[in-house]
Parts: sequence; C-alpha cells; structure tokens
Amino acid sequence: MTLLSESPAVMAADAPTVLTVDGLHVSYGSTAALHGVSLDVRAGETVALIGANGAGKSTTLRAISGILKARSGSITWDGKPIANLPPDRIVAAGIAHCPEERHVWPHMTVEENIMLGAYLCRSRSEVQRRAGMAFHRFPRLRERAKQLAGTLSGGEQQMLAIARALMSEPRLLMLDEPSLGLSPKMADEVFDVVRSINAHGVTVLLVEQNIHNALSVASRAYVVKTGRIAASRPAAELRDDPDLLRAYLGG
Amino acid sequence: MDLDLFLQFLTNGVVMGVFYALSALGLTLIFGLMRVVNFAHGEFYMLGGVTGWFVTSYLGLDFFSGLALVAVAMAAFGWLVDRFLIERVRGQGEEPGILLTIGLSIFLVNATLLVVGPAPMKVAGAVAEGPLFFGPIAVTKLRLIAVGVGIALIAGAHLIIRKTRLGAAMRATFQDPMAASLAGIRTGNVYAATFALGCTLAALSGMLLGSIYSAQASVGGLISLKSFVVVILGGMGSFAGAIAGGLLLGIAEAFWGGYVATGMVDVVGFVLVILILLFRPQGLFSIRAERA
Repeated sequence: MTLLSESPAVMAADAPTVLTVDGLHVSYGSTAALHGVSLDVRAGETVALIGANGAGKSTTLRAISGILKARSGSITWDGKPIANLPPDRIVAAGIAHCPEERHVWPHMTVEENIMLGAYLCRSRSEVQRRAGMAFHRFPRLRERAKQLAGTLSGGEQQMLAIARALMSEPRLLMLDEPSLGLSPKMADEVFDVVRSINAHGVTVLLVEQNIHNALSVASRAYVVKTGRIAASRPAAELRDDPDLLRAYLGG
Repeated sequence: MDLDLFLQFLTNGVVMGVFYALSALGLTLIFGLMRVVNFAHGEFYMLGGVTGWFVTSYLGLDFFSGLALVAVAMAAFGWLVDRFLIERVRGQGEEPGILLTIGLSIFLVNATLLVVGPAPMKVAGAVAEGPLFFGPIAVTKLRLIAVGVGIALIAGAHLIIRKTRLGAAMRATFQDPMAASLAGIRTGNVYAATFALGCTLAALSGMLLGSIYSAQASVGGLISLKSFVVVILGGMGSFAGAIAGGLLLGIAEAFWGGYVATGMVDVVGFVLVILILLFRPQGLFSIRAERA
C-alpha cells in the first residue's frame, strides 16, 4: 500500500508555509467584519476559502492585499510582517489580488490593461516579455488586444483580470470569486486556468461561492463563518462528505 | 469692412479661448476626473497671476524663467493642498469638498489682499507691446506669444496624460481606484499629482493673461465660474471638450462684446450653459466617448 500519491496536495504538505494570517480583525467603520481569522498557506498549494455570502472571505483577501486596514492580528509573508503595508508594497512583495467583479479598466484597451498590471516593473522589455506570456496563455485576449476592456464578455473580462494580476509575476495569486456570473462552461475554463497557473508553481488562495468548483481545484479549504474560521479540512474530505460540508456551511 | 471686423472679433475670441481652455483643462482634471467641485480654481488662476507679477516685475526675472518658477511653485502648492486638505474629504461625496474649497478660496483671496493689496498687478511680458498685422487682423506680439505658450502647455498636458507612466496611472486610478491600488499604483500620489497639474494649468493661464491684462486678488470668483462653464460645455473630464468649450466661450464672448453689448459679456457663458444643459446635458464631448 502506497501512502504517498503524487497529487500536489500531498506534495505541498511538506512545503514551507509562505503566508500566515493570525488573529486578524478587520472592521468597516464601526462594524466588525473579521473576528480573528487565522489561516496559513504553504508554497505551491491551492487553498480555498468557502462560506456563505458576507462571511468575510473577500474581506480577508482585501486585508492581505492592503486595501483594508487590519485592526489587530498579524499577516506574515515569507517570514516578514506585512499587515497594513500599502498595497503597492504587497504587490512588490509577490502577492497579487484579482478582485471580485474583475475590476478591469473599462475605457482602456485589453493590451493597456495587461501592460498596467506590470506597473511596478520599470523595464520595458521585461513588461513586453510578460505581456507575451499573458497573450500566449490567453490567446483570446491577443485577438482582442486593441478592444476596450469594457466591451469584453464576462468570461473574457475574468481572463483579463487574471492575466493582469499575473503581470506582476506573483508567487501568491489571490482570486476572489473568479466564476461569479459566468456560464458553467466559462467557469470550467477559468478553473482550468487556475489549475495551470498553480501547476506552474504559483501558490493560489481562492475565494469561491461555487463550492464544488472550489473544492475540485483546491488541496485544502477553510470554512469561513461570520468572520471566523469554522473549520480547516483537506478539500477531498469535504468534497466526498456532503453531510460534513452541509454541517459547516449551515445549508 | 464688416468681414474684417468679423475676423478681428474671431481672432480676439480665439485668443481668449485658449486661456479659458487652459484654465478649464485644469478644472476638468480636478472636477471632471477627481470629482472635486473646486471652487478655489479661480484662486489658483489668481495666484498664478500674482506670483507671476512677483517673480517678473518684483524680482525682475524674465518672463519664461518666471513662468517656469511659477509652474514649479504652483505644482508644489497644489500637491500640498491635495495631500493636506483634499485627501481628508476624498470619497465622502461632493459636499465636503465644496465647503472645503469655498473656505480655501476665501482664505486665498484674503491672504493675497493682506500681502499684496487689491490693486491690479502687471506681469512683465515676454516681449514689448506692439501690434502685428495679418491682413486686416491686428494681434499684439504679446498676445501671440502668450497664445503660443498656452497652446504648448495644452499640448504638454496632453502628452503627460496620454504618453507617460504617470498619465497611465491617472487613467487607471480614475477608471477604477481599487484596481489601480492592486496593480501597485500609489493612488494617493496620483490624486495629488493630478491636483497639482490642474492647479498649475490654472495658474499658468492666470500668469499668461496677467501679462496681457493684469492680475488682481479679486478676479478668482468669475474665473472659477467660467471654468465650470467651459467644463460643462465640453463634457466632464473630457480633454477635447475643455479645449472646444474654452474656444467656444472665448469666441461667443468676443462676438457678443463686439456686436451686442460690451457691458454684459460675462452673461454669455451662463446662457451657453443653460442651452447646453437643456439640449445636450452630457456636454459637447461626452465622457463615454473620450475620457482624459
């Protein structure tokens, strides 16, 4: 009997932890949204945050990327504290955040959107090289390079948002609801892309409403419930045990 | 002849229109893109004229060195105003910004009155007075140079917005500030730089016109209103619209003053705005079609 399979989930189990969130509290004004979220992500993993609407999944990502202030708690990346650093320092440190609802720049062309994803890279030739890789990965974006991003379909905009996030050459890619509003076929394509990005060595932290898809791509999952982590399980365990999943999600 | 007179009025209108366009370009950045309803815009214009007088007539610098110095000083001033004042009300709707900039305008007018007094001040021009004749049209050399500088500044602003890294960051920030932050753009700096650019354009327009007419502490209110007129005429945040609106206002005023009544020239712009709001409320150049 072989205990070790070659699945990435098991391989990543020995990998060093790259991101640690500990006791994270975040508030919107006087309303607390996170009441002490703790999680960790190891190099090469795909980790999913699942849970109901408003549970605090997106808030967690926003605090990590520096868009929201952490009221207390710590965020550690590569052994260094990064909580409350400005977003540009987080990007420079190797964490990219592809936000919910895509947020492409609608009045700019696809190409301009992609190039600006590498805003912090000062070398023009390096930006060109990365853009070439992005167009290689997303041929449909190459076809639409001169088109305004606002005119793309939802699926194409999601691909563009991912391509733009990858332009900073992150080691951790945080994806917020990448399949939101997409057809099942388009959503499958997006998750294929996520798998391929992860296979190329980029660690992925994924927030997703579509739990089936999330668990199919992730190796581990955290269940987020009203601003706290309710459970942490290997994705396969949750996938194969609907009762367990229902118990956590209260569905 | 009548045609000669017509051409002369048209020329005068275009000359004024360039300065209106320059000042309104500043406001279209601040109001149209940053969404700050800046009632201190006319005071930025006024400060450009007064500091232009100070560096040329008082300190004795030549016109172009003075212009560069005023540009740097007013850019720094605009940056500081944004970082220390406007930033506090960012993202809180328009009313706090209106109150803030009205307060700022009152402060700037009175501070200027206190320091240099109410008298008109002449900015030393780049060349001596004296008309040039193009067929039947007379233009002073001073105006021609001022217009040339104005056009160069408009072109320069266009290049900054269209061709530079800062310009790309500006467009990204105003289309989607969160996406800009996530791309690593320091949006706080982008806002401040945009405000500084808008402030500088108004100030240089004030200095250029101060070399033709004169600069005066009390001129700001009317300039603010006219700049809003031009921005609304052209379409909020539209670069081409600010230029077209400025020229339109300048020419309309020149014709009104020439053919109808000189005393009520300032009414023209407001009549135009009422007409635009009635028949084409998005402005001549809608923001959807062309956003700076």
